[in-house]
Amino acid sequence: MATSVSYPTPGPGPAPVVATAGIQAPVQASLWSDAWRRLRRNRLALVSAVYLVLLVAVALIALVHTPYSYRDVGVARPYSGPSGANWFGADILGRDVLSRLMVGAQISLIVGVGTQVLVLAVGVPIGLLSGYYRGLFDTVVAFIINVFYGIPDLLVAMILLLLLGPSLNNIIIAIVATRWMDMARLVRGQTLALREREFIEAARSSGAKPAKILFGHILPNSLGPIIVQATFGVPAAILFEAFLSFLGIGVQPPTPSWGSMAADGLAAIRIAPHMVIFPSIALSLTLMAFNFLGDGLRDALDPRQKR
Amino acid sequence: MLTRGTLIYIGQRLVIIVFTVLVVSSIVFLGIHRLPGDALFNEHLHGTQYALILHHYGLDRPLWDQYTSFLSGLILHGNLGESLVNRGVPITPLVLREFTVSAEVGLFALVFTIGLGMTLGVVAAIRQNTWVDYVLTTTSVIGYSMPSFVIATFLLLVFAVWLDNLTQGTFYFQIGWTGRFGTIGEIWLPAFALGFPYASIVARLTRASMLEVIRQDYIRTARAKGLRETVIMVRHALRNALIPVITILGPLVIGIITGGVIIENIFGIPGLGKEFATSILNRDYNIVIGVFTAYAAMIGVANLGVDLAYVVIDPRIRY
Repeated sequence: MATSVSYPTPGPGPAPVVATAGIQAPVQASLWSDAWRRLRRNRLALVSAVYLVLLVAVALIALVHTPYSYRDVGVARPYSGPSGANWFGADILGRDVLSRLMVGAQISLIVGVGTQVLVLAVGVPIGLLSGYYRGLFDTVVAFIINVFYGIPDLLVAMILLLLLGPSLNNIIIAIVATRWMDMARLVRGQTLALREREFIEAARSSGAKPAKILFGHILPNSLGPIIVQATFGVPAAILFEAFLSFLGIGVQPPTPSWGSMAADGLAAIRIAPHMVIFPSIALSLTLMAFNFLGDGLRDALDPRQKR
Repeated sequence: MLTRGTLIYIGQRLVIIVFTVLVVSSIVFLGIHRLPGDALFNEHLHGTQYALILHHYGLDRPLWDQYTSFLSGLILHGNLGESLVNRGVPITPLVLREFTVSAEVGLFALVFTIGLGMTLGVVAAIRQNTWVDYVLTTTSVIGYSMPSFVIATFLLLVFAVWLDNLTQGTFYFQIGWTGRFGTIGEIWLPAFALGFPYASIVARLTRASMLEVIRQDYIRTARAKGLRETVIMVRHALRNALIPVITILGPLVIGIITGGVIIENIFGIPGLGKEFATSILNRDYNIVIGVFTAYAAMIGVANLGVDLAYVVIDPRIRY
């Protein structure tokens, strides 16, 4: 990430004097190394990061190996609790809960990261353009954003899933449809503030094209808040998917999702509480880890911001 | 309070709400008819029998024809049609009854959210940096970082299953709903599960703004006048500390309405949310349309209510 910021003194701070050719900004004082140093001091964020790395590892391992196939029924007695052969027990059809959790981690990560990639792809250009050019385009965008904010996200997502049909791609599309506004609004605000700064004016007066100004100067300077926003967006999307799958309109069986596993477990809460406990714990830990990491990143990237 | 301007504002908002409801129901109506699947499929009907039922629901007419009669029925008579699965059951009374159930749970949850959240926030602020503060702050972190259905599930596990086993069935939470409206004994746990995440947010906000307010000069003046501490806290401090809490009232109410979908399904409450999930699984598309229409109306009215509450609470706001 640091390599993409090669021009002098990025980030918040006193407006930089326009760099004269030949003078390099001291590398060790860059925003990113500062942020990294602050992030390392935040224990909770580090623990969360370690957990998330482990989660990604588990999801990758599940690509090549799970203890049992996630869809094989009857590998253990239905509803049987944790044992040596099935660490997290078995579900209603005698499927191995651990294997299903591992595959569920893939689903959650795909949804969480996939939606944020799309949200970035949609929200960043819209925010940049409407903030930079303002005028009619900005008015139209602001109107659309307000309309989207007026309708509850769960309702929008449910209508979309109902009309498009439940599949992983459509879940991601439905979540993006309810989340892109946050990113567009953030980037628009950043752009509005940055476009008045001297270094942008300098770039403009030295003949830089709008595309160069937007993607070469404004975007790198607002990367901090964008990264923080995207980090918080991941758990929101994972939770959303769990919600939809819990209701039965998300990921369809036999593909496991932590949300649908919890829903299955709820039906058997008296006789097999492990069926609902393990997916709930996995989901809660993951959401908390992303939230703590987001908190840490926000503090690291923008130390002056009041919490 | 009810000036002419406010009345005009309410009128405008009601028009917008009606418009939104019509747009939502139209989108769902037109969209849903494109879907594959058939509520009548399970009944293995053939020939004239099938044709008769299709005709009964008007499903043999062109889509545009169906749509105009649906819309005119909705506008002129508030008629949402008839259930596809439970033949002969009109949807409008059904949805209205379920709406009152959902609203009941939602209002209880709102009471929990505001009452519990503010109490915890004030206590944490007054006892700042003591163990009370730390316990309350940690609890609220758990509250807003755990999804509501996980909290609900664990509450169910504790109160309905483990408590039952522990006390040999003498004391436990009975899942489900016996009458048309739940009793207090049936409603407190779902309302708590629904309100707790938002109560955590309210508690955090109240604590922060109380801490700011109780350091101000007018509080010192009140103390110097010799007022009792409870009077200072409730009459002077809390009033001003309320303002940031009020600003999140809108998102809060929407969160409680949408969160209710999950909670109703977990606790078996016969409200709109439960109907929604059931009707989608049954492919009872007429009810799905009705539930969406009801939700759009509910959310519109709730938003209007919140905006009017602002006028009552903060005299500076005028419409």
